[in-house]
Amino acid sequence: MFKRLLLLGFLSGILAGIAALIYQKVYSTSVGADFSNIAKPVGIMIFNVIGCLVASVGYWVLYKWLKEKTEIVFNFIFVILSFGSIVGAIGAKLPLDVNSPELFPGLVIPMHFFPALAFFTLEPLFIKISEKTKSVVA
Amino acid sequence: MATLLTFAAAFAFAPAASWQLTDKYSVRFTGTGDVGGIFKTMKGSIAFDDKDLAGSNFVLAIDVASINTGNGLMNTHAKSAEWFDAGKYPQIKFTSKKIVKSGANYLVTGDMEIHGVKKEMILPFSFQNKGTTATFNSTFTINRSDFHVGKPGGDVGESIKLEIMVPVKK
Repeated sequence: MFKRLLLLGFLSGILAGIAALIYQKVYSTSVGADFSNIAKPVGIMIFNVIGCLVASVGYWVLYKWLKEKTEIVFNFIFVILSFGSIVGAIGAKLPLDVNSPELFPGLVIPMHFFPALAFFTLEPLFIKISEKTKSVVA
Repeated sequence: MATLLTFAAAFAFAPAASWQLTDKYSVRFTGTGDVGGIFKTMKGSIAFDDKDLAGSNFVLAIDVASINTGNGLMNTHAKSAEWFDAGKYPQIKFTSKKIVKSGANYLVTGDMEIHGVKKEMILPFSFQNKGTTATFNSTFTINRSDFHVGKPGGDVGESIKLEIMVPVKK
């Protein structure tokens, strides 16, 4: 199961990263503010993949402990952590030569929810129902 | 004789050289903690001749709404009524009254007006003359409470350091 979880983490990280890059392009075009020097595309991909891999490891640790209650607890923790992570985005101080810093949170805050979104989307493909509940056998 | 005196008088009362601000100026402020930023817009007139300090003067105005701390929320907070109140006091102004030489540099005495409060201040500055261009530099500290900017105490220290660099051209 651990290997499947790592694969889930990696692929959901890639999916989240691609979504974030597309969102960055749409946002900068629509508001006319380019923050690609701050939120660099390579950095966005790396952070999304690492975030989802960490989530996978966290899921595996929780599963060892909670078994059939894993999913609900994990989902709750993942979402809470996603919300908590936006504090850093709101308080970020950009270089002083960057115009319109007030538009930066609008770019990065939605991106903080893409890893959870991608993970929840791909999770059913990697985690069998039998591993989530005792009553249903795959 | 009268013609000669008139001719001499014209030169005696010739104004100091007028300098035009370029757009490469920098107005930077720093304080204790994580306080710091720039003002992006400044206008003014500078008449300065290091051989005619009596005829020299500075009139500068900084647009308060051009403040940039690097964070949108901080910018909004800085422009709010609690701090600079940019809506009511849109400019920070300095008008010189006297300039004297101080070693290799200069001291300018003038009225600094911030947040509706006008105080006389003596500011040091240097002047690098390169012929048709020059640069004025000044670093000084102000006490924000003297100008009722923000409440005393809190996370932002009272003493704010300003570093101003103004390239000019004739």
